[in-house]
Amino acid sequence: MKKRASILLIFIMALSVVFTSCGSTNSNSTNSNSSESSSETTTTPAKNIKLVYWTMWNETEPQGQVIAEAVEAYSKQTGIEVELNFNGRDIRKNLQPALDAGTQIDIFDEDIDRVNSTWGNYLLDLEELSTKSYPSTNGKPFTEVVNKALIDIARQVGPNGRLSSIPYQPFAFVVMYNKDIFDQAGITSIPKTWEELLEACEKIKSIGKIPWTVDDAYMAALVGYHLARTIGMEETLKIANDNSWDHPGVLELAKDWEEMYQKGYISPNAAANVWPAGQQEIAQESVAMYLNGTWLPNEIKSSVKPDFRWGTFAYPSVSSDGDPITYNNIGGQCFAINKNTQYPQEAFDLIVTLTTGKYDTKLAQESLGVPMGLDSDWPEQLTEAKTVFENTTNRYIWAVGMENSADVNAKIKKNFALLISGKLDAQGFAEAMKN
Amino acid sequence: MVKSVTGGTKTYKKHLKLAPGYIIVSIWVIFTFILIGWVILASFSTTREIFDGQMLKFSTGFHFENYVKAWKTNKVSVYFLNSVLYTIVSCSIIVCIAAPASYVLARFRFKGNNLLQNMFVSALGIPAIMIIMPIFSVVSKLELTNNRWLLIFLYICINVPFTTFFLHPFFKNLPKSFEEAAAIDGCSPIKTFWVIMLPLVQPGIITVTIFNFITIWNEYFMALIFANDNKLRPVAVGLYSMVQSMRYTGDWAGMFAAVVIVFLPTFILYIFLSEKIIAGVTGGAIKG
Amino acid sequence: MKKNRAMINAFLAPAVLAYLVVFLYPTLRTIVMSFFKVESVTDSVSKWKFFGLGNFKTIFSSELFITSLKNIGNIWLIGGISVMVLALLFAVILTSGIKFKSFYRSAIYLPNVVSAVAMGTMWINYIYNTDFGLLNRILAFFGQGNKKVLWLGPDRIFWSMLVAYCFGMVGYHMLIFMAGIERIPQDYYEAATIEGANIWDRFIKITLPLLKGVTRSNIVIWTVTTVGFFVWGQIFSPVNLSAGTAAPMNYMYELVFGSSSSVTVRDSGAGAAIGVLMTLIVVTVFFATTFIVRNDDSEM
Repeated sequence: MKKRASILLIFIMALSVVFTSCGSTNSNSTNSNSSESSSETTTTPAKNIKLVYWTMWNETEPQGQVIAEAVEAYSKQTGIEVELNFNGRDIRKNLQPALDAGTQIDIFDEDIDRVNSTWGNYLLDLEELSTKSYPSTNGKPFTEVVNKALIDIARQVGPNGRLSSIPYQPFAFVVMYNKDIFDQAGITSIPKTWEELLEACEKIKSIGKIPWTVDDAYMAALVGYHLARTIGMEETLKIANDNSWDHPGVLELAKDWEEMYQKGYISPNAAANVWPAGQQEIAQESVAMYLNGTWLPNEIKSSVKPDFRWGTFAYPSVSSDGDPITYNNIGGQCFAINKNTQYPQEAFDLIVTLTTGKYDTKLAQESLGVPMGLDSDWPEQLTEAKTVFENTTNRYIWAVGMENSADVNAKIKKNFALLISGKLDAQGFAEAMKN
Repeated sequence: MVKSVTGGTKTYKKHLKLAPGYIIVSIWVIFTFILIGWVILASFSTTREIFDGQMLKFSTGFHFENYVKAWKTNKVSVYFLNSVLYTIVSCSIIVCIAAPASYVLARFRFKGNNLLQNMFVSALGIPAIMIIMPIFSVVSKLELTNNRWLLIFLYICINVPFTTFFLHPFFKNLPKSFEEAAAIDGCSPIKTFWVIMLPLVQPGIITVTIFNFITIWNEYFMALIFANDNKLRPVAVGLYSMVQSMRYTGDWAGMFAAVVIVFLPTFILYIFLSEKIIAGVTGGAIKG
Repeated sequence: MKKNRAMINAFLAPAVLAYLVVFLYPTLRTIVMSFFKVESVTDSVSKWKFFGLGNFKTIFSSELFITSLKNIGNIWLIGGISVMVLALLFAVILTSGIKFKSFYRSAIYLPNVVSAVAMGTMWINYIYNTDFGLLNRILAFFGQGNKKVLWLGPDRIFWSMLVAYCFGMVGYHMLIFMAGIERIPQDYYEAATIEGANIWDRFIKITLPLLKGVTRSNIVIWTVTTVGFFVWGQIFSPVNLSAGTAAPMNYMYELVFGSSSSVTVRDSGAGAAIGVLMTLIVVTVFFATTFIVRNDDSEM
């Protein structure tokens, strides 16, 4: 009896929670699940088609919100129902099993390397579809109205060198810095070499700010970049793939960063920064520089003061044996279509909606990103990044390969953190990495 | 259980002797409240203030909009509805399956009894991921992924061995006389179980149900794999995705608001349920 | 007795069926999978290539995996001892007749109820925060402020995570101990007191021995939960794996579903090997505890 009573009471309580919460959400939700409403707002669906789109964005992110709007507009216009699934970054783990199992997924998006390399086998060849013209391209083929450099990169990394993804939101992985701090410190020109960087650090330190920071998510990229600047991209990739750190360049890298630690140029919190703690240090204006992607201004938009002045420059060159500053990781997110889709044209139409015209502009605006439209303006925060992007001659893959293996990544994170907190010296770092 | 009775001045002295005990548990509890209290305060703050360490001053006032935003932009009520559905249905059915099994294993001798007992216990030792991979494979082929009934089915099956294991001592400790008396009265064995024996192990059932409830409520991994769709997510996965998305938008205050929104009803349910544990354990465990 | 056979079978059938479907079949399949090279967990059996002990060699040659084993070992042993001692201590205190018992009981169990995601976030962003976190503020209060401790630095993050994890687990095991203590008849204590035993004697000679069965349950449950350690590792290393926070399940998750980095190769066969290994460990510990903690009361 008692058991039944308590179960009943629990049930009633649960129901009351549900009822009180149900009401408010229904009246307040704006962006969630546009797919449910789309079939009700159109008169008669054209052919009862349903597209399923898995996106890497979260519902709360600006990109997620704009995409939801665009998808709803598209549905209204064409009568095609679109199921939009906000996976967040977990798409990196969820997508493949779902595709393998034959779940209906027509469109998905993610970073350009991931889409084309990891998911290459699932992509539909887009060469033909992209040369057609669409309502928003004013009679021109699609590929002629969008950012050519990006399309070229997408073609380059595509399976068999074929265009299999449509890029958007281009990014460059560069040093993001706080212009106000630079001005205050009296730095007049962007550092192009390691020595110039050290000089700039000294000036920043003298006005009481911390020059540099990093956190656990981007340590491998920092090491990869610095190593590539020291011994060149090929050697770096070899080290990353073979996990063999015997190269003398490793010791040089260690010495450089040991110096950064000893001179106090790197944030004392850096070794313990669990992402996104490093970004917050920039937002609070206690740190001046951070090697990150041009998405950073968007990610800390709500934490920075309204008139925060962003600047960017390419990671400085370190040694003549290494790469010059025209070697950078540039890329973008991109849309791709499942090669098993039943509606390739409709799916591509949706992609066109997202990469041209009104929604392309809006997507860029809301997320402090770059529009795909040809010759469009980069946002103010990223003007200097445009130069880096356009001057890049050779492309690094993500973190110059240092994140390809979980083992290598973990090893770097541990030892580099010890190095920049003074617990390991340069020699110690080199030794530890050799294991 | 016979409670000892001490009266009058003895009580005062007794409590004094227990002072070190009071101090120890109080420190622990205070720490817990600081932890949770900070989060609640942070949820009314802004991200800048949190990271500046200026939170406690509340210089810009209380930001209730964090809650509004967290509620509107995340489908919190859906997550709750899902969790409630999953836990209540699963917990009820688990007991229906496990109690009878536990009963016969504890009180009847038959061939294979020990084997079955060891079998159930061994299930406890099998880590979830051993099971998840093949099940995921089968389920994918049957295209049953993102199906809430499948998830419930899995929750039930996974918790049956533990529940059986847990109820064993409770059944075992019941005196044989009850069954004999019931048999003499002409009660069938099945009826004996449902009408007499089961109610007698109420404290055990209540306790294990609460454990199961909390396990399923907070369950994360299986839901992540089998019910990741926005509409099917339970609270734990939903909270995780909310936290992740707040990280990408740098909205820490909003994230804490989301944490509190998820935590409060859990907390209230818990307070309510814990009274039931106590009532059950002290009320039902009368010996002899 | 014969008539009962039908009832016995009927009562047991659903439970046994659940076991077979959800435990036996998948376990056997995973064990088999661990001997094959399989990329995606959903690959059909025809795509499996026999690999002998190859998967096991692969995982043991991964430094990160070995570290994760060490981590889980530390969690089990050091974490286990800490949690059991505290749980027992609190259980004894709460059953010794203090006031507000139900309040304390609920309060201590509370962290276990709150989702690990929420708790972990609180620990990382408040307690362990380098600049304004509780611990560093306390240190500053006691005059150690100039040296900010990096609680989440590579050398400390494991212990920080362990403390946060154990904090949440104490309540649960305390409840189990309390259930066991409350089953001990009060007459035993009264008789002992009459014969002149003090608190310590009563604890050692009455409470402890009669808690053997419950202790064993606690150790078994602790072992099982420890092997399943996953969420905390994810929270303390949100983007990709770290040596200080990886547990075997975290590593396995990355192997089977791919990691967060751009270019990854999945290896479900190796993942299965990890699963098999962890199960073996649990079974071993289980039999070891059965052997060591022999129970004389009527529990399973």
